[in-house]
Amino acid sequence: MYQNAPISERVQKIRRMYRDKKPKIDISRYRLVTEFYMDNPQLPGILKRAKNLRNLFENMPTPVRDHELIVGHPGEEFRSSAVYPEHSFFWFLDEIDIFPTRDVDPYDLDPEDKEYILKTGEFWLKNSTCAAIDEVFPDEYYRDILGNGVLNFGPKNNSGSPIGHYCGNFWKVVDKGLGSILEEVRAKKADMLEKGLQGDEGQKFQFYRAVETVTEGIIIYTKRYAAECERQAAVCTDPVRKAELLQMADSLNWIMEKPCRTYHEALQACFLYQLGLLLDSQPHGISYGRLDQYVGKYAERDIAEGRLTKEQAQELTDMFILKVAEINKVWSTGATKSGPGYTSGQLITLGGVDRDGNDATNVATYMIMQSSARLKLHNPPLALRLHEGTPEELWEAGIETTKQVGGVPCFEWDDIAMESLMRRGITLEDARNYCLIGCVEPCVCGCDFANSGGDGNNAYTILPAALWCAINNGTNPMAFGRGGNQEVKLELKPTGPQCGYLYEMTSMQQVLDAYKTEMDFFTKWQVSMINCYEYLYAMRNPLPLLSATMDGCLESGKDVLWGGAKYNGAGNSSIGHGTVADSLNIIDQVCFRDKIASTRELYDALINDWEGYEDLRQYIVGRCSHFGNNDPEADKYLKFVADTYSEGITRGISPRGCHWSAGCWPVTLNVVMGMFTAATPDGRHAGAPLSDGISPVQSMDKSGPFATINSILKFDQANYANGTLCNMKFHPTALQGAEGDKKLRAVMETYFKGGGMELQINVVSANMLREAQEKPKDYEDLVVRVAGFSAYFVEVYKEAQDDLIRRTEMSV
Amino acid sequence: MITGRLYDIQGFSVQDGPGIRTTAFLKGCPLRCPWCHSPESQSFAKQLSWMNMRCLGLDACSSRCMKACPKDAIEVGPKKMDIASGTEVTTIHVKRDLCDDCGKCADACYAEALTLCGKDWTPEDLIARLMQDKNFYDNSGGGVTISGGEPLCQIDFVVEVLKGLKANGVHTALDTTGFAPWEALERTLPYVDLYLYDLKHMDNEKHKTVVAVPNKIIHENALKLAEAGKALQIRIPVIPRFNEDEENIRATAEFCVKLGDSVKMVQLLPYHNLGVMKYLRISDGKPVEAVPPSDEKMEQLRELMASYGLNVTIH
Repeated sequence: MYQNAPISERVQKIRRMYRDKKPKIDISRYRLVTEFYMDNPQLPGILKRAKNLRNLFENMPTPVRDHELIVGHPGEEFRSSAVYPEHSFFWFLDEIDIFPTRDVDPYDLDPEDKEYILKTGEFWLKNSTCAAIDEVFPDEYYRDILGNGVLNFGPKNNSGSPIGHYCGNFWKVVDKGLGSILEEVRAKKADMLEKGLQGDEGQKFQFYRAVETVTEGIIIYTKRYAAECERQAAVCTDPVRKAELLQMADSLNWIMEKPCRTYHEALQACFLYQLGLLLDSQPHGISYGRLDQYVGKYAERDIAEGRLTKEQAQELTDMFILKVAEINKVWSTGATKSGPGYTSGQLITLGGVDRDGNDATNVATYMIMQSSARLKLHNPPLALRLHEGTPEELWEAGIETTKQVGGVPCFEWDDIAMESLMRRGITLEDARNYCLIGCVEPCVCGCDFANSGGDGNNAYTILPAALWCAINNGTNPMAFGRGGNQEVKLELKPTGPQCGYLYEMTSMQQVLDAYKTEMDFFTKWQVSMINCYEYLYAMRNPLPLLSATMDGCLESGKDVLWGGAKYNGAGNSSIGHGTVADSLNIIDQVCFRDKIASTRELYDALINDWEGYEDLRQYIVGRCSHFGNNDPEADKYLKFVADTYSEGITRGISPRGCHWSAGCWPVTLNVVMGMFTAATPDGRHAGAPLSDGISPVQSMDKSGPFATINSILKFDQANYANGTLCNMKFHPTALQGAEGDKKLRAVMETYFKGGGMELQINVVSANMLREAQEKPKDYEDLVVRVAGFSAYFVEVYKEAQDDLIRRTEMSV
Repeated sequence: MITGRLYDIQGFSVQDGPGIRTTAFLKGCPLRCPWCHSPESQSFAKQLSWMNMRCLGLDACSSRCMKACPKDAIEVGPKKMDIASGTEVTTIHVKRDLCDDCGKCADACYAEALTLCGKDWTPEDLIARLMQDKNFYDNSGGGVTISGGEPLCQIDFVVEVLKGLKANGVHTALDTTGFAPWEALERTLPYVDLYLYDLKHMDNEKHKTVVAVPNKIIHENALKLAEAGKALQIRIPVIPRFNEDEENIRATAEFCVKLGDSVKMVQLLPYHNLGVMKYLRISDGKPVEAVPPSDEKMEQLRELMASYGLNVTIH
């Protein structure tokens, strides 16, 4: 039987600190970046980014706190968040007064820091990348299709987030040390200069120069932490702590440049390298990848050779995970709603197979899972890779962890994830080395720049809005533009192909054709917009530290944003599969098959948000068949909806030459986007949530979990290389004890072997959630999974809580 | 054509036999256990059921059920808070003395607050429905459980369904009170892998007084199943003030020992009152409620039975 290891006193204390501390905004990074940008307008793209990062490495605070064995933080204070003005800043200035008091994820801000930001902030309104984005988007978008609702691009201030959703190459840092990169890049530079900079080598030379600048920089940064440890050791009166500090200093002087020698060093090197990536860009789906694979062999060696006891190794792991949890990012209030609960989204992947296909579980796999379960941490999110050869013990650990923490880890099935990657052109050996990034997107670790999150804000295709355009002559009746943080009502006009109105349509085929026409049109526009965005980022915001380490970049002399990585991807996510599948099915049933209402009546009902048509609405909800009940007639529309989107988006080609990938992971945007979507034929009222992930519409799967799963499995998930997300909730009563674990495993295996890619399991009851709403104090530790990451339920905003409860109710 | 009457089919059954299973619940039972948590399983007739939780309120559905009822059996009922809208709505009350369970109101109730409990299936249709979940049985070492009510009361139908399931390689369990002629039970022998067999009380008089039938035939049938070499999982509902006394538990354990190797497991099922609300769906009355036995009490009983060398679990 799986058991929790004891938690050391030191770890208990840090965890308490973590839960008690209200985060604040730390402006160290903001100040350095602002001064650097103001002083250096002459520097071009990649050199500006490289020297800016170098400046951060040389001047950011290097806090070493009394309780720490693993160090590094992008600011002075525990749990503070840095500020990242280079990408977009208007929202920060707009919301600066409400950060300390807002109801979701508040942050304190010192008055003098606020004053400094207000004094300098205006600079960024013209100098952030976001300020230039509207210049590169086609005018035709704004003129002709603004307000379509399928794409989120609004009238102004689009794309506030940088390119994120990637994973670094930790092996180079841990096993080789970045000293090897410095040698390589210096040799390349010398060689090029000797031969003369021919052809495009003027650009490549700048790339290598940037790589050298930041690689030296992160080594300096690491040694600055060593110096701080030495300084503290010199004045430390506690001999035990003094010895720790001296050992830490020794390690910090060694690692980053040279290969790691111990488990402690491997963890520390991973943490500082990742922190370097975060400092360069910002926490935006930047993922750890296969952490257990980077560090596991060091742990095994230390334990075998007696350098560490198992307890010490676990304590180090706990402290590492708490350090990752400590990293914060201030999000805009709007974005916070889709990813609530103080998260920096640094997803860690565990388990799976090695490059030869053998099970890759090691001692670190279990220790990391133990950290998450015992410390009840939703952050960092964990993904557990499962396959035919996953050991019994790991299945048990995964299921027990998800029972204890609620949705952590999420489970990914290797067969389907790897198949989807191979359809992207990745070899089997490399596909075996995949991790999940961002939310749930498969990506090869260390050699794949999958850019699976698009521009962050607008990486979603809202399918029910396309349905509206299809049945309303190209016009979304709830046309709105989300300009930055504001929702602007727009004039109603056709923004998509004009395929006529539902009441003019005489067959189901006409409806389907119209929907497909709209989807082909809007997926094409999605690709066009993000490709323009990528053009801007490739010019202004290359990623030199990531590129220094990513396989392929040094060889090709190209930044990841210029297509330098061995593999390239571009991803999108869709929202509302279930809502559209049900809606199409209902149009077919009600108007064509059973002739309960005419197309005119249904159209009028929708336009009037069912006002005057309540009987029809109730008939649809209660009497019609719905996707999710293993009914072939209803489920065939799921396949149609899933394939129409994935075919459309996959046709797109990214600036880095690869095809786009389809995904389906709505975070909680299905709730937010629902607020802007008019009534749909499935009986949904205007403003109500859209369906979640690839799951059926909330409360419409009335035939139990078997039928739900069998329905969901009716489309080919391997066509979704950008990941799928399936939430499943269980009553704790159904899964008691070891026998319960086995049964849950059997359900999961049935889903996976039937073609499922990813599962998130929540073991909760609706009553428990309702009580948690009323007595949040008593449920402080209840973690729920709200998409690719989890959150403390009590920190999720009210509407999302209600949605979770509704969905739970259905399982009773 | 043979048909059988069911009141429910449940997937993801985790406590009705090995693995994860789908359970088909047949309607109608000769016993009248006062603690029964599925009161709708007792009558063989279809019954009108009303679920307060699903009722949208008379204003929301323009009183469709009232209009549909030919007997004026639906009247204005209590108010309730509607969670979705946050407003108070007026629900209904079914006058059971006037209602003849014709189901016209259920046809009119789109919200499925009013439903006619009891649906007739042909064996072919039921087998096809149960086979939809085959992938789950295969991955979990599960299968189908035929339960009730008392399934043996619909023996012709049950035999056809079991035959079909076995032909498709499905593990089968039959959940029975054992109160049926041996001839009926005997017909199931070739098609049942596991019998979930209830023993409610060893004393015939008590059995008769409380659950309305004698226990003699139940005990005889159990012995015959054991003699036929069938696997038995004995289920004992632990009911306060009825069968939880040491004397009865010891007697039950002794009987289980007599059944020999056939008994693979003894399940002690603690009384719970989750089914109480279900009575109000089909009638105006609630049953007498008891206090569920404590965990300590259950553990005591488990240990007592286990001391006879039996494999005993709780739940």
